[in-house]
Amino acid sequence: MEFITTSHAEHAPDPVFHWAWLILLAPIAGFLFQAALGKRIELALGRGAGRKLLGFAAVLPVLAGFVVSVLLAVRLAGMDEHSRLVITSWFPWIDLQTLLVPFELRIDPLSLTMCLIVTGVGSLIHIYATGYMADDRDYPRFFTYFNLFIAFMLMLVMGNNFPLVFIGWEGVGLCSYLLIGYWYQDIENAKAANKAFIVNRIGDWGFALGIFLLYWVYASNQDLLPLGERRYLSFDVILPLAEQVLAGYGPLVVSAIPLLLFVGAVGKSAQWPLYLWLPDAMAGPTPVSALIHAATMVTAGVYLVARTHVFFELSTLSMAVVAGIGAFTALFAATVAFGQTDIKKVLAYSTVSQLGYMFLACGVGAFGAGMFHVTTHAFFKALLFLGSGAVIVAMAHNQDLRNYGNLRKYIPITYWTMLIAWLAIAGIPPFAGFWSKDEILAGAFFSNLIQTPQILWLIGWVTAFLTAGYMTRMMMLTFYGNEERWRTAEAHAHADHSHEHPHADHGAHDEHDTAYFLSEDEARALEDEEHEHHHDLTPEHEPREVVPSMWLPLAALAVLSLVGGAALSGLNPFAHLLGRHLPHLFEAWNHPSVGLSVLDEASAFRESAAIEWALIGASIGAAVLGIGLFARRYIKGLPKSEAEPQGLQRLAGEQWLYDKTMVRLFVDTGGKFANAFYRIFDSGIIDGIFVNGSAKLVGAVGLLLRRSQTGSVRFYALIIAIGVAVALSYVIYITTR
Amino acid sequence: MEGVPLYAYILLSALMFAIGMAGVIIKRNPIIIFMCIELMLNAANLSFLAFAKYHTAPLATTALETWNVHMTGQMAVVFVMAVAAAEVAVGLGIIMAIFRMRHGVDIDEMSSMRG
Repeated sequence: MEFITTSHAEHAPDPVFHWAWLILLAPIAGFLFQAALGKRIELALGRGAGRKLLGFAAVLPVLAGFVVSVLLAVRLAGMDEHSRLVITSWFPWIDLQTLLVPFELRIDPLSLTMCLIVTGVGSLIHIYATGYMADDRDYPRFFTYFNLFIAFMLMLVMGNNFPLVFIGWEGVGLCSYLLIGYWYQDIENAKAANKAFIVNRIGDWGFALGIFLLYWVYASNQDLLPLGERRYLSFDVILPLAEQVLAGYGPLVVSAIPLLLFVGAVGKSAQWPLYLWLPDAMAGPTPVSALIHAATMVTAGVYLVARTHVFFELSTLSMAVVAGIGAFTALFAATVAFGQTDIKKVLAYSTVSQLGYMFLACGVGAFGAGMFHVTTHAFFKALLFLGSGAVIVAMAHNQDLRNYGNLRKYIPITYWTMLIAWLAIAGIPPFAGFWSKDEILAGAFFSNLIQTPQILWLIGWVTAFLTAGYMTRMMMLTFYGNEERWRTAEAHAHADHSHEHPHADHGAHDEHDTAYFLSEDEARALEDEEHEHHHDLTPEHEPREVVPSMWLPLAALAVLSLVGGAALSGLNPFAHLLGRHLPHLFEAWNHPSVGLSVLDEASAFRESAAIEWALIGASIGAAVLGIGLFARRYIKGLPKSEAEPQGLQRLAGEQWLYDKTMVRLFVDTGGKFANAFYRIFDSGIIDGIFVNGSAKLVGAVGLLLRRSQTGSVRFYALIIAIGVAVALSYVIYITTR
Repeated sequence: MEGVPLYAYILLSALMFAIGMAGVIIKRNPIIIFMCIELMLNAANLSFLAFAKYHTAPLATTALETWNVHMTGQMAVVFVMAVAAAEVAVGLGIIMAIFRMRHGVDIDEMSSMRG
């Protein structure tokens, strides 16, 4: 095995960067181990010891990846900031005369930032999952998928060319599908998995077209590339030359490239109009929601935009589209969150909304701020999801907010950690969310890329207020109020049962559903297990704090949510407003990859510190206002009027009918179209004309020809004689002519 | 060459063949049809022999080669006779079997193959 590593630095790069392969290969090894030996080990060592070993084996590769990432980050930070780019190449993967795609990793601040998030938050969630999934039927299968996901996600963020990124992109989509449908015995979960996969096809279609377009553009401008360079899809070749190469193209191509890539990002990062799959994706186990559908995979779109930001910067139109879609999604999803009664759905819409925030940042040119929000969001949203998982476990897998209440008394660790995450996402300083959110809002306010960016700031500000609001609603309904509603929950528990866990479901329709997927033995095993574990909310139910393997990750993430933002931002903007020059660590680290944030570029025309103080005040004000207003409404418990959401809230909960309209417009109409096509083309033309038609033709000819078969031997003899005579006459005729 | 001219042989052979064919087509009794088939085969044999007799061998250089050329036509006759004998044996066997099954061998009644 030989790696060729190159860098912009004058001397050859440190061989320590070869270790980057370990980050990628370790989870692949973990995946193979779980897939090949998981079940066997579980059988051989028994459920207890076997699962301990498997859990350890699942966490180890991710943790190893994190350690290596930290090591590389330290080494890279020590390099000159313009040479912070190392490419390590293993073998040529696609080698054509007109295209070379090596298997190569890119190590730069942006990819290492993502690596640190994926492996760092990822290993915490892995540890959590060893506790959360401990009683699951298919423990090794879960970690097989989970490790595979980490491997693909790392390939996505570390790949140095579009094909590698695309493999990672599709791979994480596959793992997302497998994990959403992890409890496939319930048909609803399988449907949610399908929805996620199918909606993502639209995004991937755009992404693939964008790659093709880029290849076309670069392959037809070979003279601008270094002599003999065939890596038309590698980032280190195409990104520095973007402006030069695209100078020869009209606005159509220049805008089409970023917009097509953005279609991919919209699909993967669940932006309007393709966000539809993410709320349904909550059907997966809660660690999956935390890792894939909050902290890492859904931020791949933001990563892609940040990685290819040079193309976006060349087209004002694409920037405006990114900012517009981001802002609209942020506001839209924030309103929808108010209508949700399922704790995980609230968090799902919150994720969609926060992702909109990140795209808003990218759209106004503050790519660094966008990535900063990716980072802080990974901390507090993973924490919120893991906390909600702890609540769900404590509440016997009931996910309905209306059945909670006063849980702070029973699960204090979960409560205190989620409290930190709540303040972080609401944007209260000094918690992590404040710093990145404030940076995005300032970026939007001072953006010079579009006219009147203050509108975007206003949308962002309203969204910040709503975010504080719906998170307060969720927290109050879960942890506050003197009413312990689970004691009287029977009515809700059945009317609005969750699909999160097969144990939560029961009744006749289940048996019917499972029959499709399971053999008799499996079905019986499942039934036994259900009897064993089945419990529901009862007046006697006592919520209990979760096991240490689950609350330790919560605590770690709480620390990150508490100090992560302040530490990474170096207390900016306060520091520089007060005349102290503390470095903004995140920006200082990342700007070689994503450029300087608008914050610094714009500081030249920031007339007065007064406006900045006002902006900070406004963003803290939004958070305080949101928390205050909604705390007043919900602190006493569930308002009577919300036992069933009514009016606007109900409409919001139904996504302002967007999902229904989309289903009617595309799924139903598509079904009708397919049905009509089936009737006309399949039944009519293929079956009717080709299959049955040819058979009928042969039949008719046969009917005609059977008349000649009289059965009379003498008649046959006569015909043979006549035939011979005719044939002979012909022969004589042509030979004597 | 003296004696019977070639065209007489051919004429007789054609006549025999025509009679045989007419018999095959007209007659309903398989025994007679067999006899007619024999007639046709023998018409062919007669042609073979006639041609063999009248055949010259311009390329032959020795007497043996000339003799060989004459013999090829005559050998064909022997083959035809052997095949005819075998054919009659098989055919008569089939006719016997049909007779046992159906108590009659009228060829027009054997029409189960009518489409």
